Amino acid sequence: MKKLKRLSILLLVFSLLLVTACSNKESASGDGEGTKKKDVEIKFWTIALSPTFDDYINGLIDQFEKENPGVTVVWEDLPFDTVEQKTLTAAASGKLADVMNLNTDYLKKLAAVGAVMDLTKKAADVKDDYFDGVWDAGNLGDKTYALPWYVTTGGMLYNKELLEKAGFNHPPATEKEAWEMTEVLYDKLGVYGSVPNEIHKYLPQNGVEIVSKDLKKAAINTPEALKIFKEFKARFDKGLIPKELLLGQAKTNEWYAQGKVAWWLTGPQLFRQVKDLSPEVYEKSDAAPAMGGSSGFLHMAIMNIAVSAKTKSPEEAVKFAKFVTNAESQLAFSKIVAILPSVKEAAADEYFTQGENSDDPAEKGKFYAAKQLEIGKNIFPPVENISEINKAVNEEFQKVLLENKDPQKALDDAEKRINDLLK
Amino acid sequence: MYKARHAWSFLLPAGILLTTFTLLPALAALGISFTNYNVFQPVEWVGLDNFKTAFQDEEFWSALRNTFYFWVLVTPALVVLPVFLAILVNQNLRAIKLYRLIYYFPALVSVVITAILWNWLFASDGIFNYLLSLVGVNPVDWLTSRKFVMPSLAMVTIWQGLGYYMLFYLAGLQSVPTDLYEAAELDGANFWQKHRHITFPMLKPIIFFTAVISTMSAFKEFTLMLTMTEGGPIGASKTVVYMVFEKAFKELEMGYASAISFILFIIILILTLLNKRTLDQET
Repeated sequence: MKKLKRLSILLLVFSLLLVTACSNKESASGDGEGTKKKDVEIKFWTIALSPTFDDYINGLIDQFEKENPGVTVVWEDLPFDTVEQKTLTAAASGKLADVMNLNTDYLKKLAAVGAVMDLTKKAADVKDDYFDGVWDAGNLGDKTYALPWYVTTGGMLYNKELLEKAGFNHPPATEKEAWEMTEVLYDKLGVYGSVPNEIHKYLPQNGVEIVSKDLKKAAINTPEALKIFKEFKARFDKGLIPKELLLGQAKTNEWYAQGKVAWWLTGPQLFRQVKDLSPEVYEKSDAAPAMGGSSGFLHMAIMNIAVSAKTKSPEEAVKFAKFVTNAESQLAFSKIVAILPSVKEAAADEYFTQGENSDDPAEKGKFYAAKQLEIGKNIFPPVENISEINKAVNEEFQKVLLENKDPQKALDDAEKRINDLLK
Repeated sequence: MYKARHAWSFLLPAGILLTTFTLLPALAALGISFTNYNVFQPVEWVGLDNFKTAFQDEEFWSALRNTFYFWVLVTPALVVLPVFLAILVNQNLRAIKLYRLIYYFPALVSVVITAILWNWLFASDGIFNYLLSLVGVNPVDWLTSRKFVMPSLAMVTIWQGLGYYMLFYLAGLQSVPTDLYEAAELDGANFWQKHRHITFPMLKPIIFFTAVISTMSAFKEFTLMLTMTEGGPIGASKTVVYMVFEKAFKELEMGYASAISFILFIIILILTLLNKRTLDQET
């Protein structure tokens, strides 16, 4: 019994040592900050770009290394689903990459815990190169923690055949028209049109801010939001909104490829997924501009480049981040995949003015998406718990539709949840 | 002494692995549960705050209710049904090994593949609703309603676990001495009586083992919820482990996630001890 006790104490002490050892290593790794070494190695992480874009990324690295003798960039691509776990485990063992590709939500989380470098001053010289609505994506509060990389403003892939069968010769151009058409499509053919599975994006695009301008409290509880919730409830009760898509259990691209949905609102870079799933449906498809809300702007999905707060080579890491996101690098990237650059100079290239008359929906979609860059912007407020806030809004919305929760009560509860998350 | 040294040499490799990858991380998690550890910032001791937060957190109670509900749906089925399956495949029939393989097959399929397959079956226009429509029953919201989501997920777990637990029972059945059955037959026992008075009592240790293992796996179930429902609709299938995953990896609250894990550990421990006590009393 005594032996067992001693063994337990020993194990407990060892485990605590293990935990503290991890955190000590973390702080120790930051000691070299600010010192410029002759031979520097920068670790660079991207999200789901390999193997498709190996040549592009390797080319980028080669060029940077040539322009910066003594600097070596080691590239590692992370699968989309493992980014969060990999970032955490690497951070715990002091092996976080120097330069990282991060989505907007997770970037804010990492910025709030001091894992990524404050670039407000270090990147001030390049701020004006980027579209205003895009630059905000890297902000938390009034500080900047990342440079915008590639973006998509969205677009529409629609099934011409289904629309014709329902008596339409053009895709919807406004939200109002989209829902009128959805009703006809559902009644005549039993297929769906608009799919509101991300109400946290719909609301700001239609004049309802989720968080107040000073970022201190919820701003969602307004008569306009109530009207929107009630409208969607009426549509849901008519059967126009499928539960599986509302809950994200089914994928819109798959339903579109099966002819169960008449249009898919997404970035043109993803149109090809339909081509892979169902070439016949892709043949019957065409591209149209994305539908904006009443606010006059569009949500833009933004990928960011951040620098680790504990990098041993901050100067080189920031330089590399700027290099990856500069006009020349982004333009070259945009030419091999249907994404859009966040830098004004690259977006002004004649490459983006072509494609209007293309037979390929992806090409045409890229043209429309580029045209809409000026009205695209990051709609997520720069607060730490933005993912949880968006989740709370979506859950309350789903309760109205699926469980007949009173829309006003849902907004009251959403407001309370957001205020708790902002504390 | 010589024997003891031999035993240690066999136990040591497994012991080292178990200590390094299970025991020490578990103890580290216990330590972390008393802190506000978030990987990136210096650790601060917060005492029992994380545990207090958990007991006041409606999300945690909801996840705990969901977990218990899932356990109630899954464990009795996985303790009882495989016994009958094992008795069936323990007969001297032609191609019996093929039947065993077929029943065991779902256990070999990865959870993600299972999730994709069952998502198709459960779809609003999937096979299940099609079959129901043939007999005039309205379509069921298998994964999109609070009422059906947990039973649907339990169904998938039972389907996948049946063959796995059947193997344990089969091994147990094959170790029951045949002369016991012969003696019973001489006494005029019928099929049911033989199993009631011989098979089930002889299988008691395996029933205990199955109950413990299936309880643990029911309480730990997470992948199915992640791949099939993402904890929805509106948190109706969010289990405690799913919540641990969200808190730790999405919200960076390692301390809180560790505290929840430990509450779950205590619950499983109590259930296992209760299970053992019941079995001990009966034998």
